[in-house]
Amino acid sequence: MVAGVIQQLLDGLTLGVVYVLLAAGLSVIFGVMHVINFAHGELFALGAYFALALIAPFGGTAFFAALIVAPLIVGVIGVAIERYTVQPLYGRNPLYHILLTFGLVLVINDLIYLIWGPGASSLARPDVISGTVSVLGLGVGVYNVFIIVAGSLMAFGVWASLEYTRYGLIIRAGSQDRQMVRNLGINIDRYYSLVFGMGAALAAFAGIILAGTRQVNPEMGMSVIIPAFVIVVLGGLGSFKGAVAGGLLVGILQESILRPYFPFLEGMVIFLLMIGILLIRPQGLFGTEAPEDESGDLLTGSRGGFLDPQTRNRLGLAMILLLALVPLGAGTLYSTFIVTLMIEILIWGLFALSLDFIMGYTGLVSLGHALFYGLGAYVVAITIQDVTQSVIVAVALAIVISAAIAWFVGFLSIRVAGVYFAMITLAFAELFYNAIYRLDTIELFGEEREVTGGSEGIFGLDPFYGIAGIGVDLDSIGIFVGTTVLTGQLLFYYVALAALVVGFLLTRRMLQSPFGSVLKSIRENEQRATFLGYDTVVYKRRAFVISGALAGLSGGLYTLFTGRVFPDNAEWMVSGEVIVMVILGGMGTLYGPIIGSFTFFSLEHVLTGYTDRWRLVLGSIFVLFVIFLPRGLVSVPELLAPYLPGGPGPGPQTEPAPEDSSTGGGD
Amino acid sequence: MTPDSNTQGSRRQFIKAVTAGSVAGVTGLAGCVGDPGEAGNGEDLDDFDTVTLGILEPFTGEFAELGEERHKGNEVGIEWVNESDEYDFEFEYETFDTQTSAAAASREAEEAIQDYGADFLTGSINSSAALAVADVADSNGVVYTPGAADISITGSNCSEYVFRFETNTAQMTEVMAQWVNDELGDQIFYHYADYVYGESVRDEFEARMESLSDSYENVGETTSDEGSTDFDAFITQIQNNADDADALVVGMTGADLAIFLQQAGERDLQDDIPIVTTTGSFTPVRGGAGLQAVGTYTGVRYSHELETGDNQEFVDAYEDMHDELPDNFSRVGFESIRMVATGIQEAGSRDPDVVKDTLNDLEHETIFGTNRFRECDGQAENPVWMGELVEPEDGGDVTEVTFDLMELDGQEAIPDCEDTGCDR
Repeated sequence: MVAGVIQQLLDGLTLGVVYVLLAAGLSVIFGVMHVINFAHGELFALGAYFALALIAPFGGTAFFAALIVAPLIVGVIGVAIERYTVQPLYGRNPLYHILLTFGLVLVINDLIYLIWGPGASSLARPDVISGTVSVLGLGVGVYNVFIIVAGSLMAFGVWASLEYTRYGLIIRAGSQDRQMVRNLGINIDRYYSLVFGMGAALAAFAGIILAGTRQVNPEMGMSVIIPAFVIVVLGGLGSFKGAVAGGLLVGILQESILRPYFPFLEGMVIFLLMIGILLIRPQGLFGTEAPEDESGDLLTGSRGGFLDPQTRNRLGLAMILLLALVPLGAGTLYSTFIVTLMIEILIWGLFALSLDFIMGYTGLVSLGHALFYGLGAYVVAITIQDVTQSVIVAVALAIVISAAIAWFVGFLSIRVAGVYFAMITLAFAELFYNAIYRLDTIELFGEEREVTGGSEGIFGLDPFYGIAGIGVDLDSIGIFVGTTVLTGQLLFYYVALAALVVGFLLTRRMLQSPFGSVLKSIRENEQRATFLGYDTVVYKRRAFVISGALAGLSGGLYTLFTGRVFPDNAEWMVSGEVIVMVILGGMGTLYGPIIGSFTFFSLEHVLTGYTDRWRLVLGSIFVLFVIFLPRGLVSVPELLAPYLPGGPGPGPQTEPAPEDSSTGGGD
Repeated sequence: MTPDSNTQGSRRQFIKAVTAGSVAGVTGLAGCVGDPGEAGNGEDLDDFDTVTLGILEPFTGEFAELGEERHKGNEVGIEWVNESDEYDFEFEYETFDTQTSAAAASREAEEAIQDYGADFLTGSINSSAALAVADVADSNGVVYTPGAADISITGSNCSEYVFRFETNTAQMTEVMAQWVNDELGDQIFYHYADYVYGESVRDEFEARMESLSDSYENVGETTSDEGSTDFDAFITQIQNNADDADALVVGMTGADLAIFLQQAGERDLQDDIPIVTTTGSFTPVRGGAGLQAVGTYTGVRYSHELETGDNQEFVDAYEDMHDELPDNFSRVGFESIRMVATGIQEAGSRDPDVVKDTLNDLEHETIFGTNRFRECDGQAENPVWMGELVEPEDGGDVTEVTFDLMELDGQEAIPDCEDTGCDR
């Protein structure tokens, strides 16, 4: 029994030490540069892959050399990433770093696939750190001991260099108060590359020692990034001490306590802990006081535009008419699949619009919008499966429940801002994602009933468009237009289009109301809005509820469209992708995200036809957008205007125009 | 591809329904109805040279390695059919990437049917994606031959359009349970991945043990998430329970299993308790786990050394094309395509509705000898073996797999029709 407990403790320490190394780099990078580095997991994977490449020709004996060389290479890559992609973004809102590094995740991950191919490989290691030794009658893995010792030494080395060197002193000072360091005449910016490179090298080191026992595979980065963020948030963004405490806490909690004794709670407790800490002590266990506010503005695409409102209204109307014609060409001008693809674009357009309502108009970046999308999708599926086939009831329930959960999440989350808000919404979304797996079936009135269907999801749904027996089944009615029969999905297309148009007009009307003016004033300057007597938290929460309800509607539409729902619909990549769409199109415009959705799916559809490595291209395009075109595609005409004959004259305005584009038309 | 082949899917279903008179009927804007005969595939009952095949494999993401392996088998199958005089038609095909998600898989399946005009679909490795594609195939009326082993695909979620040559978990656990009960005992500890496949291994193994032994006991269970890479805590728990159990049954596959076996080997778990797996024989699993997996017992679905049916001809064709030996997924790809081709040839039609009826209980000569897709569930009657991972004779660093511990023929291994839960 005692031996078992000691072994469990050792397991926890092994993982904890790796987490410490991973989180330390992430945390210090944030502390000094305010960069939330989503690509940290990929740097971790790169370390393991470089080690694999270095060890392959020489065998296990090269392990120790690789442990030094590979992190150095990744460190250099880290420096290059900082120089060429992160540096142009300083001075902007830190949320752009999330977006940039999310693009880098796609790029680096696909490069790994391209260079090393899919599949897992073992990292050979020397015999001296293999096998087991007997300690007090307990068979202890030598490699586990090696991880604990080597990891601790590395962490100690980093701590000592932060504590006792001049560089460390400056970095620590920068992490506490950048402006003060600058005031003292030190050019802190010069240290940024160094810190980023060091963080990358630490991640690489962690990647190698972990790969020694868990193999090297292209998904290894994805599997650690979320726990790493949890640890950084728990310990305190920017705090090395916090990373150590958080890493060991999560490692031991996960391995030594939850898995052996409360496996049902694994995956839940960590996120609940993260939410709790963010609410009670947003700066984390060991973080410095309040987060330093050096955030730049979020760059919205809503700077008036160069079309007058009337032209825009007409353009919007023309777009709707054009979209309404799409199903008519199916099967003759183009294949029916184009309509299927367009339905997905419309649904995701609505989803992106819902995120834009909160992100583009109040500046709250939700990293957990997949929660509402997934919730809507599951509520519709469960209602149709277990309660009634009525689409009206199912969709209404999806909207109401999504709105209610959004109110609850908003009630807890909106008291924190910026990156903390992003993290807390991510935690809620992960909780929901875990719950989908856990709530496979429930026992109700002594009968086992399927709820979410676990990893299989729910499928074979047969929705009925009506209520109380009055209505239609889209698959069994048809409208004949020339040679085209509009039935099934071709008819559903109009349902999706109508939902998007209604969603757009509704949000646009709201933004034209006094409520919308307050939202925009919050985005421009929340403090001033407060001084004017507005309770900004209440306004933001209301906006969040509307956003959640619309996202729930879009998720519900997805279920109706496919007739099935899977846990994939709620994973964190969904939240990432919808943010990509909002940025691609241009946030703060409502119609920009719809253009973003169109661009995203069209690119994916076209690129997958040419290459398996389409994420590399998409990621690169996204990175370029964040750096060079942060206002999104909607800003392109404005940028080109001065160069076009008959354009409206001088370059883009520098001040936001009093007339927001949202008061104009759109598509 | 002909333009007609685009007008499938729900439209075809609808027109079928119109002709059957089962539709509520809404008068049209223009009121012009095309000839229903033009829209279906009925026009090519006797005279066709090509058949369109949509191949849906995970070419990117965590299952990409297995997807590529299966696709190599697809390629050999297509070439086999196209160059053989036994078939009066050729396959034309296009590949679609199901990625890792069921959502992407169902979208790609829709694209294959609606855009490419595929009448026949094949592919997918992971159970969630295969279930999603099966649902799309069923609602669009195209024949689908999946690759995943999850029991429900030809069980509670079966479809009249779905035929599976992959050996399912029920067949695999039949031989495993018999051997474990005979040789190791009936006190079983389980570790499985918490998703469709892992759960089905536990359920199926348990059901068989209960019928084999009255004193059977489930001593304990641990579960890890799909895609886990860290099994230390579970291994500790298993070691703590090792004295009470006769065997550890592991319900995992792919990288999960490879990493588990590696970490278990590192901690000498085999010395504490015999490890029995469903898919330890797969090349990627053995490659990943290395020599740490020596001594692991495994069910075997396929071996390139088998002398059954025309397996050696397949192995030669495979080696000629790819310069390597086939493994489980490639044989599934190969034979799925060949069996569908035989069905098309026998039916004299490429209409999926005609072919699906012909395929039921049709006898084929396969790499396993005479075989068939059962009418009651669409499952192939594959033989299964029990084997062990052993040190390689050539001294390499990847284990070799034996398959001589026990063998069950196809009819012994497959569950009775009434027990499948399938109503096709």
